[in-house]
Amino acid sequence: MSENNSATEDVKSQSSGSTSGERADVCEKQSTSRQLVMIVFIMAFATKMFLLPIFLIQTIGRDAYIALAIGGGIDLSALAVFIVCMVKAQTDFFTILSAVLGKVGAKITVGIIGLFLFFKLNIGISETLRFYSGSVFGDFNVLFMLVPLLIFFCAVANHTLRALCRLNEIILPLIVVCIAILITVVALTGFDLANIFPSMQYPDVFKTEAVHHAAWLGDFTPLVLFVGRTKTKKHTALFAGISGTVGTGIAVFFALVMSAAFGNVRVLVDSSTNLSSILQYSLGNVYGRVDLFSSVIWSISTFIESALLYYAACRCFAFVIGKNAHFWIALIAALATYLIQVCAMTDPTVFSVIVTSIVTSVATLTLTVATPALALVCTLVHRMRCEKDVSGGDSKQSGDCIGDATRRVNGENRI
Amino acid sequence: MNAKERILENFKTPSNIVTRDIKCGKASGYVLVNPDISDSKTVRAVFFALEKESNAHLKTLEEFERYALYECETEISSDIDDCINKLLNGDTLVCVEGDERYLVVTSRAYVIRGITEPPTETVMRGPREGFIEDLRTNLSLLERRLKTPDLAIEKIQVGRRTKTNVAICYLSSVADGRVVAKIKERLDKIDVDGIVDSHYLVPYLEEKPLSLFSQSGVSEKPDIVAAKLLEGRVALFVDGSPIVVTVPFVAVEEFQSGEDYYQRSSYSTFIRVLRYVALALATLLPGLYVALQNFHYTLIPVRFMITLMTAIKGLPLSPLAETLLVLLLFEIIREASVRMPRAVGMAMSIVGALVLGDTAVNAGIISPPAVMITALSSIALFTVPNMIGPMSVLRLLFTIAGGLTGLFGLIISVLFTFHYVSSLNGYGSPYLAPFAPLIYSDFKDAIERAPFRDMKKRPKSIPNKNPNRQA
Repeated sequence: MSENNSATEDVKSQSSGSTSGERADVCEKQSTSRQLVMIVFIMAFATKMFLLPIFLIQTIGRDAYIALAIGGGIDLSALAVFIVCMVKAQTDFFTILSAVLGKVGAKITVGIIGLFLFFKLNIGISETLRFYSGSVFGDFNVLFMLVPLLIFFCAVANHTLRALCRLNEIILPLIVVCIAILITVVALTGFDLANIFPSMQYPDVFKTEAVHHAAWLGDFTPLVLFVGRTKTKKHTALFAGISGTVGTGIAVFFALVMSAAFGNVRVLVDSSTNLSSILQYSLGNVYGRVDLFSSVIWSISTFIESALLYYAACRCFAFVIGKNAHFWIALIAALATYLIQVCAMTDPTVFSVIVTSIVTSVATLTLTVATPALALVCTLVHRMRCEKDVSGGDSKQSGDCIGDATRRVNGENRI
Repeated sequence: MNAKERILENFKTPSNIVTRDIKCGKASGYVLVNPDISDSKTVRAVFFALEKESNAHLKTLEEFERYALYECETEISSDIDDCINKLLNGDTLVCVEGDERYLVVTSRAYVIRGITEPPTETVMRGPREGFIEDLRTNLSLLERRLKTPDLAIEKIQVGRRTKTNVAICYLSSVADGRVVAKIKERLDKIDVDGIVDSHYLVPYLEEKPLSLFSQSGVSEKPDIVAAKLLEGRVALFVDGSPIVVTVPFVAVEEFQSGEDYYQRSSYSTFIRVLRYVALALATLLPGLYVALQNFHYTLIPVRFMITLMTAIKGLPLSPLAETLLVLLLFEIIREASVRMPRAVGMAMSIVGALVLGDTAVNAGIISPPAVMITALSSIALFTVPNMIGPMSVLRLLFTIAGGLTGLFGLIISVLFTFHYVSSLNGYGSPYLAPFAPLIYSDFKDAIERAPFRDMKKRPKSIPNKNPNRQA
C-alpha cells in the first residue's frame, strides 16, 4: 500500500520543489520508493546479464556462474548497506560526508568514488560497443558511434536524478517483457541442469582467476546518490532488497543455463557474446535472429545503467570542484570518455589487461565494499550528532544538519 | 480643456469617435461614441433618454445616471485611461461641462459569428458547440455547463496596445491555489504590446517555451474545457480567440478525445491503445526501415528480404536519402494542402499523392516500400492530431539517426527523447504521468477509459485541492 503512494509523492515533491522554500526544512526528494526499486532491478542485472564477464568464462569455463553468484552476493551485501543508509539518512550523501569527514576529507573521498564510477562507466561503454560492433553491425565505427551515446549521457548529466528515474520507470516494462519472453523460450527449448556438474574441478584455478575478475563488481555504487534523496517508505528496504535479489538471480540463472546447455562454453563465448545469444545457439536459425532483437532491447538497460554511472560520476566531480557547472563537467567527462574509449578501450588486449589486472580487481573490490561501509558509518554518526544536537537544544548545530539540504532545495547546490 | 477634448487629444485620428453636444436639464455636455463597435440601439436609447429629460432639473452625472439613464448599465469614472479603453471597446461616454468625470454607458456590440462545430474537434457523438471569438459568449458557454458558485472567472487585460481581455477560469474548490497563483504571476509579468490570440500567451505560461513539445492544452469545445476544469486545471480565455488554453498539461491529454467519453468505455479503450500504437509506428517506422536496410539486413526475414531487394534494385538513392526525400515530399504536400483553398487542396492531394508518387516510383527514383512506409507512418500520425507537429520533426530526426547509426543510434535517440520529456514538469504535473512516475489510479483515464462510475478520484497528476470526484 505504501508503495502505491510513492508515485504521487513524486508529483507532490516536485510540486513543492516548484514553490521552493515552502518545504525547505527537508532535503529535496528526487526519487520515489518505487523508482528506487526499479533502478535497483536494472542495476542488478543489466551489466551482468547483457555484458557477460567474458574473460571470466573464458578462463573458468562452466564454473563462471559460481563466480557470478559470489560477485552478485557481494553486490547484494553492498545494496543492503546502501538501503540501510537511505532509511537512516537525514540528508544527502555529500552533506553527510562533509559533516563527518570535513570538507577536504569529503572531497577526497567523493573524488575517489567519482573516479571509480568513471572507470565502471568506461568498462560498460566499451563492452556495449564491443557487442554492437561484433554482433549487430557489420561495420561499426566507434569514433562516430560514440558521439550520440555521449550526447545522451551529457543530457542526462544536465538534468536531474528525477528525470533519469522516470526514464527508467517508463522503459523497465519493455525490458521485463523481453526477459519474460527469453525465459519462456529458454524453458521451452529445454536444458539439463545436471550438465553443470562436475563443478569446481580445479578450485585453485577458480580462486586465482576469480580474484582477477572483480572489475565487474560495484554495480550498486551509484546508489550513494540516492542516499537522503529518496522518499523511503515502510517497505522500501524490503522491496529494494527483493528487486536486487531477483535481478541478480536472473543474471545467475541465465549464466547457469548457458553453462548447462553448452559444455564448450569456454570456447563458445567471445567478446560480442551475451546471455541473449544463447537463444541463437539453442534455436539455430529457425526463427531468424530473434536473439539480436532481444539483445538490442536489453542494451537499453545497459544504456540506462551507464547513464546513471555517468550522472553519478559528474555529480561527484561537481562536488569536488565545488561548482554546479554541470554542463561543462558533463562536456569534459564526455571528452575524457571519448579519448579513453578511442585510445585504450577499443583495443581488446589493452582492455583485457586493464580489467583483469590484480590492481584493478583489488581496487574495485575495495571500493565496492568500502563505499557502502563508509556511507553507513557516516550516516549513523551524522544521525547521532543531529539527534544529540536537537535534544541538547543546540540550534546552530541542528540547523547545520538541515542547512545544506535547505540550500539544495533552493537550488544553490543542485544534485 | 474640457472633458471631451481630454479624451480626443489621445486619438491620432479623432474622427473615429463621434461626438454630439447635448443639453439635458440644466447641464450641457457631450456624448462620445465609437459607432463601429457600439450597439446603435443602446446609443439611440441614450440620446432619447437624455432628450426626454431636457426640461428636468438635472445637473450632475449622478442625476443623469439615476433619472435619465436608469435603464442602462452605467458607471461613473474619472480615470481617463480606463474611459478611453472602454470607449475603444464600444462603450458610450457622457460628460457634462464643469465635471471632469465621465458617465460610462455599456453599449458594446460587434458582429460575431455563430456557434458552430469546431473543425479541429469534430465528433460523431457528443456536443457540437464550439467556442467563438467573443469572450462573453465563450464564458457563457462555460457557465452554462458549470453552474456552481465555485467557478472563478478572473479577468485581466494583457497587451499595452491591444488591451486584450483574458479570463482566468478555474473551480476554486478544486484547482490548486499555487497553480492559480503561478499562472497569475506569469500573466502579470507579460509586458508586450499586443496579444491577438490565445497562442500568444502559451510561451509565457510554459516552463520550457523552446521545447518541441506543447506543455499546455488547447481546446475549442466547452464540454472539454468544463471537464478539464473539473479535473483541477485552469483555463485561459482570450477575447478574439476561439482557442482556450488549459494548464497544467500532461502528455496523455494528447491521446484523449472528447468523443472517448461519449461512447462505450471498452471501445474507447481500444481506440486509445490504437492511438498509442499508431504514434509509435508513425514515429519509428521510417527510422527502423532505414536502419534495417542500411545496417541490419540480417534481421529481415529472408522472403521479405528478397521482395525488398527486387523493389530497391537499381535505385539511384541510398535508403536514407530515399526515405528522407519521400518524407519531405509528404510534408510539402501536406503543408500545401492545408494552406490551399479546400477545392484546390483536394486537387493538390490527388496530384501530390497519385501523380507525383506514382510517377516517381515508375521513374525509378523512389521505391514502392519507401512510399508505403511513409504513407503508413503519415496516416498513423493523423490518429493523434495535436502531435503532428512535434512527431513529424521527431520522425525526421529518428530517420536520420537510424540511417546514420542504425539501431544503436535509433535507440539512443528514443532514450534521449524520453529522458527529455521526463524532465518536463509544468505546474507540478510530470509530463509523462501517469507512466513516469507511475500513478496507477490515473491509468483509468490514460490508456484505459474506465466507466465514469469507476473514476471516483480526480487525476493525481494534476495538483488539486479536492481529490474526490464522486462519493
